[in-house]
Amino acid sequence: MKVLNFDSKQCERVRRQLDAYLSNELLVETTSEVLKHLESCEACSRELGSRQRVREALQKAATRQLPPAHLREAIHRRLRSTQPRMFSGFRATTWAVALASLALVMLAGQQWLGFERGRQLVASVLTLGVSDHLHCAIRGHNYPELANPPEQLGEKLGPQYAGLLPVVQEKLPGFQLLEAHICSVPDSPRRYVHFIARGQGTILSVILTKREGEFLPAGRLLVAGAPTGVNLYKAKLEATSVAGFETNEYFGFVVSDLGQDEMMQLAASLAPALRDALDGSAGTEKATPALLLASVSVDSNRGVE
Amino acid sequence: MDGLTLRRRGTALGTNVFHSKTRVEDFEAAALPHLADLFRSASLLVQHSSEAEDLVQEVYLEAWKSFHRFELGTNCRAWLFRILFHRLHHLRRRLIKASKVEAFASLAEQDNLMAEPSVPQEIRDDDILRALENVPLEFREVVLMADVDDFSYKEIAETLKIPLGTVMSRLSRGRNLLRRELAEVAGLYGIRPGSERKREGNSA
Repeated sequence: MKVLNFDSKQCERVRRQLDAYLSNELLVETTSEVLKHLESCEACSRELGSRQRVREALQKAATRQLPPAHLREAIHRRLRSTQPRMFSGFRATTWAVALASLALVMLAGQQWLGFERGRQLVASVLTLGVSDHLHCAIRGHNYPELANPPEQLGEKLGPQYAGLLPVVQEKLPGFQLLEAHICSVPDSPRRYVHFIARGQGTILSVILTKREGEFLPAGRLLVAGAPTGVNLYKAKLEATSVAGFETNEYFGFVVSDLGQDEMMQLAASLAPALRDALDGSAGTEKATPALLLASVSVDSNRGVE
Repeated sequence: MDGLTLRRRGTALGTNVFHSKTRVEDFEAAALPHLADLFRSASLLVQHSSEAEDLVQEVYLEAWKSFHRFELGTNCRAWLFRILFHRLHHLRRRLIKASKVEAFASLAEQDNLMAEPSVPQEIRDDDILRALENVPLEFREVVLMADVDDFSYKEIAETLKIPLGTVMSRLSRGRNLLRRELAEVAGLYGIRPGSERKREGNSA
């Protein structure tokens, strides 16, 4: 390798643009300037030729990496033995099995009809949190490898929800808050306040969404409540655990692939703090403007069903 | 109504997540034409061919399970690559500690525009593939996406979830590292570098 000493600023500038030129990413005007320089500069022209040679050699060599004949057949076979997810990765039967197990533990002695209604209701509500976690955090991978700075997260959340950042971070010991934003899932006007954290070798979401008249059945399918003053609901769906709770105006969800016990501990810590932060402000005349604005913002973003 | 819609008190919950039944034939027609591209990239980013096969199979299964989310008419190839890199990064996070990545970054910082490795005039397939193996994955994946798979900077940024500026810097450093490795590999086999004659500087 040799170290070149440019005697021309123009050469240096053109060489900085050669990568973009090779990738056809330069503006037309800049491309013309580069071409003009290359016509008159043998050294830069040779440098471009060298880079092109490597690029073409890589393309040629890479085409040798052909899939083995059996791979297509293997995929074909596996696709036919796998059902597409009807909902965000969970088959309806999985819901039924998971919720039936949940129900047996939680609601022994309840009348079947009442239980069945409660079960469907809990499933519907918990579905909201799981769908956003899977869509945004897991499949969308909408978080950086290195945590965004708190001020940037605050800007993304807006003044409405920025105040929740320290609450979430404090109640997730051992987790690093990577991302926070407002998001949605396809085919739904519903907005989610989404916090994404990394810790314990996994990604965890804390999700809030405005209640739209739905409710979780207090006294039914309840798995915790007394110690925190907030009712908690949980479900284990394939590899994903979800713990849900409700405040006066919001549903809250903690979602990850951690064990259910760990999830319930985190949710038990988060739920009362978030309830206080959300309802404590939104429900009083002297509420902070930020949280009052939050309600307006979510409502104004909601479409018509 | 096609499929199911979650309902509460007679009103849709707003999350129409149940869709009409999806045909596996439709999925295969949209996704399988990209098998060669996916396998090629996978095989150049993992160590063994069998790992690449497993990875590609997982990508297709994941895509099939989520196919109801895919909008027909949009870029299926880019969607499949996003899944591929998501799975790859998930695997990699478990294997590579952050300190090692930082070491790569530091190494790359040393590559600057003044260092231009000599490249053999004739480059053998085996040599460049061997050289590519020595390029750290963070840079290798960007080089492959840009130079082999012909993705634009914007598509690469979206697929890898990194800023556009990072795509550009990784591509530049990755290409330079590849040339450097290639020069070393070629040197090992006694291949003379190309006609990198004494530089005359700018003749303009």
